[in-house]
Amino acid sequence: MIVGENMRYDIAIIGSGPAGLSAAINAKIRNKNIILFGNDNLSNKIVKAPSIDNYLGFSEISGEELKDKFKKHLEDMEISITNKKINNVYSMGDYFAIMSGDEMFESTTLIIATGVEYLKPLKGEEEYLGKGVGYCATCDAPLYRGKKVAIIGYNEESEEEANFLSEIASKTYFIPMYKKGLTRSEHLDEKIEVISDRPIEIKGENLANKVLFRDSEIDIDGVFVIKDSASAKALVPGIETDGPHIVVDLNMQTSIKGCFAAGDCVGKPYSYIKSAGQGQIAAINAVSYLDKLRLQNR
Amino acid sequence: MSKILATSKEFNDYIENGVSVIDFFATWCGPCKMLAPVFDEASSEMSEAKFAKVDIDQNLEIATEFNVTTVPTMIIFKDGKKVDSMVGFMPKEKIIEKVKQYL
Repeated sequence: MIVGENMRYDIAIIGSGPAGLSAAINAKIRNKNIILFGNDNLSNKIVKAPSIDNYLGFSEISGEELKDKFKKHLEDMEISITNKKINNVYSMGDYFAIMSGDEMFESTTLIIATGVEYLKPLKGEEEYLGKGVGYCATCDAPLYRGKKVAIIGYNEESEEEANFLSEIASKTYFIPMYKKGLTRSEHLDEKIEVISDRPIEIKGENLANKVLFRDSEIDIDGVFVIKDSASAKALVPGIETDGPHIVVDLNMQTSIKGCFAAGDCVGKPYSYIKSAGQGQIAAINAVSYLDKLRLQNR
Repeated sequence: MSKILATSKEFNDYIENGVSVIDFFATWCGPCKMLAPVFDEASSEMSEAKFAKVDIDQNLEIATEFNVTTVPTMIIFKDGKKVDSMVGFMPKEKIIEKVKQYL
């Protein structure tokens, strides 16, 4: 087996909750070459659960204990977790390009099991996306040379984006949405104006031109919204979603061929055993997709 | 490789007749690089529409005229008029599906 960045995996799985793990186990049983992205804690949601009463076979198990059992299962099957945050996945036609910072991984099929962590978008945020609202300041900055921009930052990393923009824009506003940001960070460039009020709406005509607060507003040419967990739409551009959920059929197939999704990210109920079941369905259908491809290419 | 339209005149002549799809891109933009081969493939599968690109650093005025605020942005023109746009990376099937609506 070739190991390294140049290999193309059969199945890439994003997420190490019950859906992702179950997908990984089922794909491994069918001898597929897989890569599983996640973290060593598996799922923060599970670890925090005091008691789980509806997981078949385990009555009154704690989240921590269930996590350990999951881990043991992975170890027994020699499945390792690649601890990397995935920023974007691009459907390239016959493969998926999975981006983590500057690194790229390739796979023939994809299973999304990222869970839901839904930050409700601001009013106007989605409406003006690409019309003055963006999610990557460093990408689009040159389009805002000499213009007025606002950064709505949900994490500390957003300060860097604000600094980057302030070198190009004529005026940069920074609107912190996280606790620590409320006291002005010393890393923030002097020219940046910090607004410690909650924004309620992004407004505009053809293009976004205002951010509204409870009692005030600012005029801007562009707004960047910087968050930790990107929505499924931002993670996999072009995928069909319904609110916070990815649209799938009964085979866990999404609107993009070769791409499957399972667990909380496809909808309610948010339940561990449902997620595990869907992970299995996704893996089995990814395998049959791979088999069909092999027959076609023969 | 899809043709790069280098001047406003070239751009205007190109979109004047029929359905054309213009990819507004930048050389430094990651998603633009990923879109390039997908855009070329869509182009080779659709003889009914024309596909070309505009480098926003070379032709910022065209990008501004059509309100491009994010790269990549693909704009569909029909007989010189903007009829639709797609912001960000898109899989080939989605691009083709969208363009077909205007043929």
